[in-house]
Amino acid sequence: MTLAVEVEGLVKEFGGLRAVDCVSLSVPAGERRVLIGPNGAGKTTLFHCVTGTLAPTAGRVALFGRDVTRLAEHRRTALGIGRTFQISNVIVDLSCLENLVLAAIGTDRRKWVLHRPVAAFPGVRRTALEGLDLVGLAHRADDPVRLLSYGERRQLELALALTGHPRVLFLDEPCAGLSPSERARISRMIAALPRDLTVLMIEHDMDVALGLADRVTVLHRGRVILEGPPGEVQTNPEVRDVYFGHV
Amino acid sequence: MTTSAILQAINGTSLAALLFLVASGFTVTFGLMRVVNMAYGAYYLLGGYVGLSIARATGSFTLAIVGGGAAVVLLGYLIDRFLIRYTGENHLAQVLLTVGVAFVVGDVALKIWGGDSLKVPVPAFLRGAMELPGGLVYPTYRFVLILFSLFVAGALWLLYRKTQIGAVVRAGVDDREQVGATGINVDRLFVMVSALASFLAGMAGVVGGAFLTLYPGAEWEILIVALVVVIVGGLGSLEGAMIGALVVGLLDAYGRWLLPEFSYFVLFGPMAVLLLFRPRGIFGKEA
Amino acid sequence: MTAARAAAVVGVVVALALLPQVAGPFWMGLATQMIVFGLLALSVDLLLGHAGLFSICHGSFFAVAAYTTAILQVRYAVPTALAAPAGLLAGTLLGLLFGLAVRTRGVYFILITIAFGYVVWGVAHRWSSFTGGDNGVTNVPFPAVGGLRVESDTDYYYLVLLVVALCALGYRVLVRSPFGLTLRGIKGSESRMRSLGYDSNRHLYAAFVLSAALASLAGVLYVYYNRFVNPVAASFPVSVEAALMAILGGTGTIAGPFIGSAIILGLRNWVSSFFELYATVMGLVFIVTVLWAPGGLVGLAARLRRRAARP
Repeated sequence: MTLAVEVEGLVKEFGGLRAVDCVSLSVPAGERRVLIGPNGAGKTTLFHCVTGTLAPTAGRVALFGRDVTRLAEHRRTALGIGRTFQISNVIVDLSCLENLVLAAIGTDRRKWVLHRPVAAFPGVRRTALEGLDLVGLAHRADDPVRLLSYGERRQLELALALTGHPRVLFLDEPCAGLSPSERARISRMIAALPRDLTVLMIEHDMDVALGLADRVTVLHRGRVILEGPPGEVQTNPEVRDVYFGHV
Repeated sequence: MTTSAILQAINGTSLAALLFLVASGFTVTFGLMRVVNMAYGAYYLLGGYVGLSIARATGSFTLAIVGGGAAVVLLGYLIDRFLIRYTGENHLAQVLLTVGVAFVVGDVALKIWGGDSLKVPVPAFLRGAMELPGGLVYPTYRFVLILFSLFVAGALWLLYRKTQIGAVVRAGVDDREQVGATGINVDRLFVMVSALASFLAGMAGVVGGAFLTLYPGAEWEILIVALVVVIVGGLGSLEGAMIGALVVGLLDAYGRWLLPEFSYFVLFGPMAVLLLFRPRGIFGKEA
Repeated sequence: MTAARAAAVVGVVVALALLPQVAGPFWMGLATQMIVFGLLALSVDLLLGHAGLFSICHGSFFAVAAYTTAILQVRYAVPTALAAPAGLLAGTLLGLLFGLAVRTRGVYFILITIAFGYVVWGVAHRWSSFTGGDNGVTNVPFPAVGGLRVESDTDYYYLVLLVVALCALGYRVLVRSPFGLTLRGIKGSESRMRSLGYDSNRHLYAAFVLSAALASLAGVLYVYYNRFVNPVAASFPVSVEAALMAILGGTGTIAGPFIGSAIILGLRNWVSSFFELYATVMGLVFIVTVLWAPGGLVGLAARLRRRAARP
C-alpha cells in the first residue's frame, strides 16, 4: 500500500508561536482524509508545509514515497498535487478559461513557448474547457474572473485543483462561505471524484466532513489529538470539548 | 599608505553620517506608513538651499539648519496631505508621484538659486582643519559632522527604542492595523513621524551643503546613495540605516580612492551580494 | 482583433509611412524619436503591464547598447553588421546581470532597479577615458550593411519604422503565447502560480532579459538616429519617463507605450520652445497621470466608451 502523503514530526514556528507542533500523519493512496479542528489549530499551516508553500521548522514530508522536505513548491506540484486555498486564489484579471489553461500547462514544458499563441494549442484549450465543465462553469469560460460571484470563484478554485490530473488533492475549506445548495453541489463533486485520487480536506462543517471522510484527523493547537474513522471521532468527548467549550 | 587609509575611513564615516540623516527618515517613513517617497533628495536640496539663504542673510548656521529643516517640514506636509495621501499603498503611484514632485522642486530651485555649485557658509570655529591623535590633520567640519550625526542617531535610537512614542512607532512598523486598534490617533502619529523625517532631510541638506556643495542634480545623487543604504540595511529598520550608512559610506570613500572610475561598481557590489543571499537587507522584514 | 482596430492600425502605419512626404525634416525627426522611445517604453511595459514588475533601469540597457555600438563604429571602425548586434548583445548581457533583481518584489525591486540604473550612469559619467565622460561618443555614422547604406534621415526613418513594426508584431505573438499568459498569471497571483507548478522567479528572469534585449534594440536604433550618445541616455529621468510613457499610454497594450511616447515627446518639444520650465511640466504630468489617469489614456478611452455605451 503506497502512502500518498507522509508527515513525520512536523513543526512550524512563527517567531515564538508554534502553529504546528510535532504532527505526524500518514495518508494511503486513494484515501479521503479530513482534517478538522477549531480556528487556529494549524490545519492550513500544515497544508502549506506539505505542499511546499511554507518551509517547515523541523520534521519530514514525503509524497508517494519520495522525501520532499527540501523540495520547492512548484517541483512538488509536478509530483501530482492539486490544491485549493482557504481564500479563493484565482487570477482575477484573466478569464476563467485562461486560468484553467495555466493550470493545464503548469507542469508542462509548453508553458515556455513564446513564439506561438496559446490559441495554437487546441489540446490545452480542450483540457481547460473540460475542467470548467466539471465544475459547471463552462458557460463562463470567457468571462473575466473579476465578474464571478464568490460561489463561482470557489468552483473555479476547485477546477484549478482538478485540472492537470493530480494524484493528491489538498482542499482547504472548499465550502467556506457558500450557500447550502452551493455547499451540496461542491460536496457532490468531491464525492464523485475518482477513487484513485487521494484527497486531503480541511473542513469546518462537521456534516460535510463526516459524510466524505474515510478517516478523520483532529487538530487542536497544532497537535493531533485524535485520528480515526468518522463515527469514532463524532462521538469522542474530547473532540466535543475542543469544539464546544472547555478549551 | 596607512595614513591615507585612515583618512579615507574618516571620509567614509563623515559621508555615512550624512547618509544616515537622509536614509533614516526615508526608511522609517516606509516602515511605518508604507510610503515610498522619492522626493527625499529634493527635500535635501531644498532644505540646503533655504538654509544657505538664511545663513547668508543672518550669518547663523544654527538658524540655517532650523530654517532649512522647517521649510522641508512644511513642504513635506503639503505633499503628504494633498498628494501622497491619494496613492494609498500603491508603490508605483507613489514613486511616480514623488518623482514628479522632485522634478518640480528641482526645477524651481534651479530658477531661484541658479545652476552653480553653492556652499553653505559655516561659522569660523568649524572651518579649517584640526589635529587628530596620531598626527593626522583632518577638516574640522567633517569631524564635527560625525559627532553631530552620532548625537542625532543616538537621540533617534533612544526615541525609537526607549520611549512610549517609539514603542508605538515600532509596533506600527510591525503591524499597522494593530496600532489603530489601541486607540492611538494614527493620523497624528503619521504626521509627526513624517515631519521628523522631513526635518532630518532638510537639516541634512544644510549640513551636507556645507562640505559637499549644492547643485542641480545633487538631489538625485544623494537619493540614490541613500536608497542603497536602505536596501542594504533593510527597509523600515533604523539600526539598518545606521549600519547601511556606514557600509556604504566606507565603500564609497575607498572606492573613490582606489578605483575612481569604477567607484559606482563598488556601491553595486554589496547590493548584488545581498540580493543573492538576503534580498530584504540586513535587518529588513519580508518585502 | 476587431475590424475597427485593424483599420486604425493600418491607418496609423500608412500615415507614418507618408509622413516624410507631407511634413518637413523636423517632424520626421520627432517622429523617429517617438518611435524609438516608444520601443523603449514597450520594453518597460513587458515587465510592468504583463509581469507586474516596475523596473526603472531600462535606460541602462538602452545606453549600454548605444555606447557599445557607437564606440565600436567610431573608435574601432567596426562595420554596422557587427557593431549593431554587438550593442544588442551588450545590453542583453547587462540584462542577464541586472536580472538578479527579480529575486525581490514590490518596493525592493523598484529601489534596486533604480540603484542599478544609477551605477551605469555613474560609470558612463566617470569612466571618461573609455566613455568620453559627459561629452559622450560623437560622430556615429549612418548604418551600412553590405551594399545597403542609409544615406539620409528619411532612409533611416523608414528603417526605424520597419524594424519597430516587426518588433511590434513579434511582441504581439509573445504576449499571446503561453509564456506571455504565464507572466500575466504571475502578476495576478504569484502564490497561485507557484502552486500550479510554475517557477515564478525563472519566468520573471526570462521576461527581464527579454525586456532588456528590447530596450537594447531601442538603444541601437537611437544611437544611429542621434549620431551621438552621452551619459544622459542612462540617467534616471530617461528610465522613469519610459515607465511613465507606458502608463500614460496604457499598460498591457501594444499601442499604449507608443502613444505615451508621442505625448511626452510632443509635450517636451512644445513646452521647451517657449518655456524653460520643462522639468516642472514633466513633473506635473507625472503627478496628474498618477492622480487622474492611472489606467493610462487607453484605459481612459475604454472607460469613456463604456460610459457612452450605457443606456
